[in-house]
Amino acid sequence: MRKVGLAIALALSVTASGCVQSRQYADVQFTPPKGDYRLLVMRPDVAVNSLTTGGMSQPRADWTEQARGNVIEALRAEQAGHGGKVLVLARRNELPNVSAEEIADLERLHYAVGNSIALHKYSGYALPTKRGKGLEYTLGEDAVSLGRRTGYDYALFLYAEDNIASTGRTALQVLGVAGCFIGFCAPSGGSNQFAYASLVDLRTGEVVWFNVLQTGSQLPGVSFGDIRSRQGADQMVERLLGRMKPGSEVGDERTQSAERR
Amino acid sequence: MCMRCAEVSRRSLLAGGGALAAAFATGIAQARIRPADMVPLVGPGFRPTETDEIGLWQLMDRAEEEISGSNLLIKDPRLTSYLQEIIGHVGGPAAKDMRIYLAHIPEFNAMMFPSGFAVVFTGLLLRMRNEAQLAGVIAHESGHFLRRHMIRSWRDQKRKSDIFAIGAMAAGVAGAGAGVYLGDYVQLAQLGTLLSLFAYSRAMEAEADAMGARLIAEAGYPPIEMANVWEQLIGEMDASAAYRRKHRRRGSLFDTHPSEGSRLADLKISAEEVTIPGRPYDTGKSRYLSKIESIRPMLLEDQVKLNDPGASQYLINTLAQDGWNGLLRYYEGEVWRLRNRAGDDVRAAQSYAVAVAYPDAPAEAWRWHGLSLIKEGRSGEGKAALGKYLKLKPGAPDAPFIRQMAS
Repeated sequence: MRKVGLAIALALSVTASGCVQSRQYADVQFTPPKGDYRLLVMRPDVAVNSLTTGGMSQPRADWTEQARGNVIEALRAEQAGHGGKVLVLARRNELPNVSAEEIADLERLHYAVGNSIALHKYSGYALPTKRGKGLEYTLGEDAVSLGRRTGYDYALFLYAEDNIASTGRTALQVLGVAGCFIGFCAPSGGSNQFAYASLVDLRTGEVVWFNVLQTGSQLPGVSFGDIRSRQGADQMVERLLGRMKPGSEVGDERTQSAERR
Repeated sequence: MCMRCAEVSRRSLLAGGGALAAAFATGIAQARIRPADMVPLVGPGFRPTETDEIGLWQLMDRAEEEISGSNLLIKDPRLTSYLQEIIGHVGGPAAKDMRIYLAHIPEFNAMMFPSGFAVVFTGLLLRMRNEAQLAGVIAHESGHFLRRHMIRSWRDQKRKSDIFAIGAMAAGVAGAGAGVYLGDYVQLAQLGTLLSLFAYSRAMEAEADAMGARLIAEAGYPPIEMANVWEQLIGEMDASAAYRRKHRRRGSLFDTHPSEGSRLADLKISAEEVTIPGRPYDTGKSRYLSKIESIRPMLLEDQVKLNDPGASQYLINTLAQDGWNGLLRYYEGEVWRLRNRAGDDVRAAQSYAVAVAYPDAPAEAWRWHGLSLIKEGRSGEGKAALGKYLKLKPGAPDAPFIRQMAS
């Protein structure tokens, strides 16, 4: 009897471990852009992989292409509701007066800054000097110069990765969870998503808002929006950008929202 | 995938169940692979047709976009066109398709990416004594592409990790679920981890060596130079380790590569096998030296600043086998000066004194020669040497300071 109880407890914890998580940080004075603003969306970095039985992510070119298109459309649709003017870059050389190298440099700089934010805000290595200060990171003069020459107020950087469980992986998950009923649980990760977005104020160069979205489930067959479909991309963009909060609300306290299914 | 990859990252080992793959790869002694058996598996203009390979190429195109735009690259057209020319000679059927980039990193390394572009580190150019040696390394890398090592190793790992996952499940090993996505926030993009997935097995490295020997022999380079590169590298690592009073690391550095001794032996036998008696082979030494002449001071400067006196000394002595000159003598002195142990100042002073006797001595050799003389109490000669430095480099950043000392 005790054994069964344990199995049920484990099964429950497995269910609970499938979730959608997003956690945002913002500059203390930040308010989400509204009205007449101009937003430049940097080329979205999208990757869709197939998750092999053994758990390796196998890149899929066709899915990635499809998802990139969906995410761009979803972004346009989401932003249309806010009244701003939006340009989504598909290539690095699309802006007049700005070379592809400059855009590439800014993307790389942001990559480094973004990593730093992830490390110190999300991975637990908090910096004592930044406690209670919201988000204090900047891309500096390069970003300001881009804003000056193009007239954009904000730049949005976006990364999205979707791992879709293969048939073999799903079967493995089924086995793992089924095992719970005989007292041996071996859940393994299935389809999952990882995305982040970062908003940079091009008038000051500062990163004013940052959000990381993570979904994943150890239950077979459960996925939280598949960005290969337009609907899934809409869902992801909404989760990532839809509930942008002003700085005073997010601050430094843990505002982790987890939805369960 | 590269000449000397450190090791597969622990994370990818865990995630991919690759530990199992590695165990398979290291446990088996390899018989030598004959160059004659190395037939290229791709033809000109190769494009992938299968889903997994198409996916890899797409990702690699992104990687290439990043790498080709990196500010670590040396873009001097004389050097890049030279490298492109060499890969055009030793690239076999894919010669026209491959791209090659030169990264300013003072380490001995070169790597081939799955979609047919190679990156060569400047540290490699420092160590090569002639064009044949450089061509040998590039041919080895071409071999990885021509033998389709990247996709073969990917499929192999995938197969093994699949078996591992199912096996672990069947055996009831709790918690073995590989690849639970832990949300490694630090890995915001996956370019970095991706590379670790392409660690080639020892058998593949041996294939690339055999293929490389064949390619350079066909291009008219003496194939034994490939073995010489390896011999030099072993010597350098021994010297570096001896200086630190340690043994050359065994295993880790060469985990994915055949053990250095057997690799050297195999290369020598292969070289003999592909050498056609009576055919003239050209090492292209003078061509090589004239091509890298403009960056050689930079290469040496990078090396001596690595704070690895054992290796630096070995390298300088090896390069000097082709003749001492002012540049090499100057950097010999720099190795001593930067090491700065008792008596090193005297050794450095001797090197600088010899360096300035050569017509190609760099201006800095005169500065340090002058300063060494003043330290020895020979201020008249020292000031004259400093004067020579100022004459050679009037705009040097320390010119006002030196001028004051020389007056």
